[in-house]
Amino acid sequence: MTDTGLTRAAAAADEKAERDWFEIAVAAALPAAIALLALFFYVKAPVFMTANNWIAISVQVSALMTISIPFAMLLMAGKIDLSVGSTLALCGVVAGLSFEPLGITGAVLLTLAVGTGAGLINGVLVSSIGMSPIIVTLGTLTLIRGLAQWLAPNPIFGFPEEFLVIGYERIFGLPVLTWIMLAVIALGAAVMALLPIGPQIVALGVNRRAAFLVGLRVKAIGVGLYAATGFFVAVAALMSISRINSAPAGTLGIGVELSVLTAVLLGGIPFTGGKGSVLRVVLGVWLLGMLSNGLILMNVPTELSLMTTGIVLVVAAGLDVLRARRG
Amino acid sequence: MRLEVKDLRKSYGSVAVLKGVDLQVEAGKVLAFLGANGAGKSTLLNCISGAQDADKGDILAGGASLRDATPRQVQNLGVAIIYQHFQVFEGLTVAENIFLGHEIKRGGRVDRRAQNGKARELLARLGVSGINPRAELGTLGVGERKVVEIARALRLKPRFLILDEPTASLSDKEAKALHAVIRQAVAKDGIGVIYVTHFLDEIHKVADQVTILRDGRILWTRPVEEVTIADMTDAISPDALLKGIERPGFTPSGPAVLKMDGLSTGFVGPVSAELRAGEVLGIYGLMGAGRTELLECLSGAAPKSSGRIELDGQDVSFAAPREALSQGVALVASDRKEQSLFASFAAVENLLVPHFGRSPMPRLLRDFRREGREFERAARRLNIQPPNPRLQGQRFSGGNAQKIMVGRWLVEGTGLKLLLLDEPTQGVDIGARHELYEALADVKRKGTAVAVASSDATEICLLADKVLVLGRGRQVALIDNPQDEEMLIELAHRAEHSAQQDPAAAEPEAKEMELTQ
Ligand SMILES: Nc1ncnc2c1ncn2[C@@H]1O[C@H](COP(=O)(O)OP(=O)(O)OP(=O)(O)O)[C@@H](O)[C@H]1O
Ligand SMILES: [Mg+2]
Repeated sequence: MTDTGLTRAAAAADEKAERDWFEIAVAAALPAAIALLALFFYVKAPVFMTANNWIAISVQVSALMTISIPFAMLLMAGKIDLSVGSTLALCGVVAGLSFEPLGITGAVLLTLAVGTGAGLINGVLVSSIGMSPIIVTLGTLTLIRGLAQWLAPNPIFGFPEEFLVIGYERIFGLPVLTWIMLAVIALGAAVMALLPIGPQIVALGVNRRAAFLVGLRVKAIGVGLYAATGFFVAVAALMSISRINSAPAGTLGIGVELSVLTAVLLGGIPFTGGKGSVLRVVLGVWLLGMLSNGLILMNVPTELSLMTTGIVLVVAAGLDVLRARRG
Repeated sequence: MRLEVKDLRKSYGSVAVLKGVDLQVEAGKVLAFLGANGAGKSTLLNCISGAQDADKGDILAGGASLRDATPRQVQNLGVAIIYQHFQVFEGLTVAENIFLGHEIKRGGRVDRRAQNGKARELLARLGVSGINPRAELGTLGVGERKVVEIARALRLKPRFLILDEPTASLSDKEAKALHAVIRQAVAKDGIGVIYVTHFLDEIHKVADQVTILRDGRILWTRPVEEVTIADMTDAISPDALLKGIERPGFTPSGPAVLKMDGLSTGFVGPVSAELRAGEVLGIYGLMGAGRTELLECLSGAAPKSSGRIELDGQDVSFAAPREALSQGVALVASDRKEQSLFASFAAVENLLVPHFGRSPMPRLLRDFRREGREFERAARRLNIQPPNPRLQGQRFSGGNAQKIMVGRWLVEGTGLKLLLLDEPTQGVDIGARHELYEALADVKRKGTAVAVASSDATEICLLADKVLVLGRGRQVALIDNPQDEEMLIELAHRAEHSAQQDPAAAEPEAKEMELTQ
């Protein structure tokens, strides 16, 4: 009796240990990947592991991060916005064109309004009217890019000095761009973790019908998320053009939707939404940023670095399947 | 030929659910497999069907091991299962669902005509003539979907058939038809059946043997003639004293909270009835009578087509459940998985999801301690097992998940005026059902009006102060103080019958056909 009792208890303990181990392993995969990668780059190019380089990475990913956080929340709610890259270009162009007539404050406000407006349009079409998110935002991706190019057939450059400080100034030792990024992260994390709207957003992605039936503001939340995404795309646009001091309508923000999607999926948010954590998305973005930074330091050609990014994404997806299997 | 389970063990993490289960089902016998919510019935059946892997032990069907077999292999070995949760495809037609993966072909192409005809026969055998094989499944109610699943399972002519709470959402007519189908398949084709249910009064009608699962082990197995309902109740949940519930002695008073006046929605109506504070309106009818549609209309989930709804004397017309909620009207939908449960949400979030950011929960910042307390209270009151606030909704057993769904609207201080419940006790075990009834009596005492739709006439008589009987969408009767469940059943049947003679609603009389070819 005692014997089997003991064996059974031991077996149960074993199983618990095994399962916990597995769960910890999955949860730790992303941070571990980042640590290993950092170590690898450090060995290959010691300059990688300097404070200055990490600050440089943070500046490089700041715009991507600023878009990825609201984008991730949108994806958690089961929606998607493929037009972020084009909206980024449009916002950059609008800002570039309006500095002269409106002054810096006016231009910034107009840009934020344009970004939010683009998001609102997506939101109304998708959430209020109920059209397919992929189709609608694929449409606006092309439309908005066309609009940007029509507004500014030639690259705009030479912005007011007072604006450009955003791109290079430091406060308390960190670049302004890094501070903005940190603020967006803190905001996103706080909204999801502390506010009542957090679980409501995820609820939309888990079971939209049930969310509707228990009385959640299904449409309003959807529209709000699209508008917020548009707003932060505008912020990211201002960040980007202040750094490069130009706004080329044809190339600004090209492919950003794919980088954002990659980062967010790396951060563990399933394509179908319904779960996810803002802080893991931060890690996803960071991994991408580190990867491109490190590969450049190692003088790896761009094509190869692109391929690496692809491989990383597929590996991450594989990990997700493994996790789903284990239930 | 027998289906044998030998020393089966299964744990989730550190929680052992099955601790060595032995079970035999003989060909030609029906085994009623009973146990409390969370006892591990579905877990065992999932191990048999290949949906889950056991940790230890073996499963044999006619000598062949099913251990490590995939669901498809298990099916091919002649073991068919109908899960507790629906496994149907909404975008496909009824016939396509029934023949999915085993289509009838002619010249390499799917013979839709033959499929539709055959589907109609199979459904007729199940006593259901109202389901059109060409209808898209998404347009069917819960009960009708269950019938489609059963037809699909029988279509494969299995040697063993496993049914996990098949009657949870069926009304008595469909349940009877199902019993007949099972008895016939057992008698004629000698199939063996495992039958899980929480309706103890159907055991003597359908089963040959009764097995009780408790605490992960088999408590006993006996021939059905030797057990009484009291024996079973006692074995399933020993704490649930058979205290015979009484309708709470509370006299509803005051003006009507809800008044339906010639209300129509979709094919349902016109319906006229009144409901006062603290009063319970039972809504009874057979499958497809329009119970769910009526509740959906009252909750703002479906529009009304004519007539009036008055709430506290005010004419209302809700465009969405959100509007209804802001006026104190809430619904617990009947299709838990599709319409109610947030599968990946923790239990505490599932419980409180309608209340985040509105009273009584804090408006601005979440209060996690408060949330924990609310869950604890609900768990204690409804005996939610396990009482773990962090466990995901999908990891609860069916009955326990259902308790969480109803528990949402038992949270204090939501200011509900009218609570709409669609099959609130589906899948809930005999002990916990009593706890739910008591909780509802409390709701009533606090002055909330309740409308409860149920396919269980006994439950209706137990809960309701008045009953609205529906038949094919029409109001058949409005009875005060129902006592006689036989009368309700009779009324519902008659309504169905007379509607069938109505030429508009008539269906071509299905020919008597052999079920298994
Ligand atoms: N994936 C899972 N992870 C953790 N626990 C689980 C999981 N699935 C089931 N359980 C637990 O296993 C126990 C048995 O569940 P099961 O669904 O087999 O019960 P049941 O007897 O079918 O109950 P019901 O009558 O309510 O349907 C429950 O306590 C449940 O919470
Ligand atoms: Mg079950």
